[in-house]
Amino acid sequence: MFKRIFYWGLSAGVLSTVAGILYDRIYFFAMGADYSRLINAGSLAGINLLSCLLAASGFWLMTKQFGNKGELTFNFAFTILSFGSIIVPISATLPLDVAYPELFPGLAVPMHFFPAMAWYTLRPLFYDIPGPE
Amino acid sequence: MKRFVYPIAALALMTASAFTFIASQDWKINDDYSIKFASPDPSGTFAGLKGAVAFDENDLDASKFDVTIDVATINTGNGMKNNHAKSAKWFDAEKFPTIGFKSTTIAKTATGYAATGKLKIHGVTKDFVLPFTYQKTDNGGLFTSSFEINRLDYNVNTEEPGHGAASFKVDISVPVSKP
Repeated sequence: MFKRIFYWGLSAGVLSTVAGILYDRIYFFAMGADYSRLINAGSLAGINLLSCLLAASGFWLMTKQFGNKGELTFNFAFTILSFGSIIVPISATLPLDVAYPELFPGLAVPMHFFPAMAWYTLRPLFYDIPGPE
Repeated sequence: MKRFVYPIAALALMTASAFTFIASQDWKINDDYSIKFASPDPSGTFAGLKGAVAFDENDLDASKFDVTIDVATINTGNGMKNNHAKSAKWFDAEKFPTIGFKSTTIAKTATGYAATGKLKIHGVTKDFVLPFTYQKTDNGGLFTSSFEINRLDYNVNTEEPGHGAASFKVDISVPVSKP
């Protein structure tokens, strides 16, 4: 079962990386603010894959621990953590030579929801793993 | 002929004396200057430095600074803090758009130079001694200065003296070249 959850996490990581890269490019062309030193394809791939694989581990643990209520508990936790994590880009102090720091949260905050959104989006592909009764 | 001697001599003297006055060297501020402030919270930079810099190591009497920086250029690295710093509660950039320093005298010191003058921040003007050093470079010179300043002396958010730091270390580096 863990293998399928692992693939779910991996797929979600790839999907959220693609979404992140697309959003980063759109934001760059729309706002003209370049944060490529901080956020780029490499860092997006790393953080999204890590987030989603951690999510997969968490999901596996919670479904093992709480059975049928595991997915619900996990979804709550994942969503709350995603919300909570936006404090990081909001309060971040960027290097002083990075222009337009006021536009940085507009780029980074939505990205914090991409792993969870990708995870929930791909749920039907893995429906038969601890799904609702 | 004799009667022209004195007028000619006077004219010659006046003409010659005019050349004894040599204006202090005016400098152009290069774009790669830096104005940094540091404290436990926050630290950052200002930009928009402009004004007149006249300095001659051999003629300090004719040397003077009359410069301003643009308050709206404050950068702490955090957009929300930047907006907060520019707001009426702090620097009030709309009402007081510049920070200015105008020297009255410049004197040599043991470590470099000291420019005494008026520093205007947030609409409050106070006497200020700006310590600085000057180094000649290939294309001009480099002014550096380092000093402490307290925002409360200039009525910058005196309502909240404990909100963030009150005292800041300021480091300024201004390369200049001949115009």
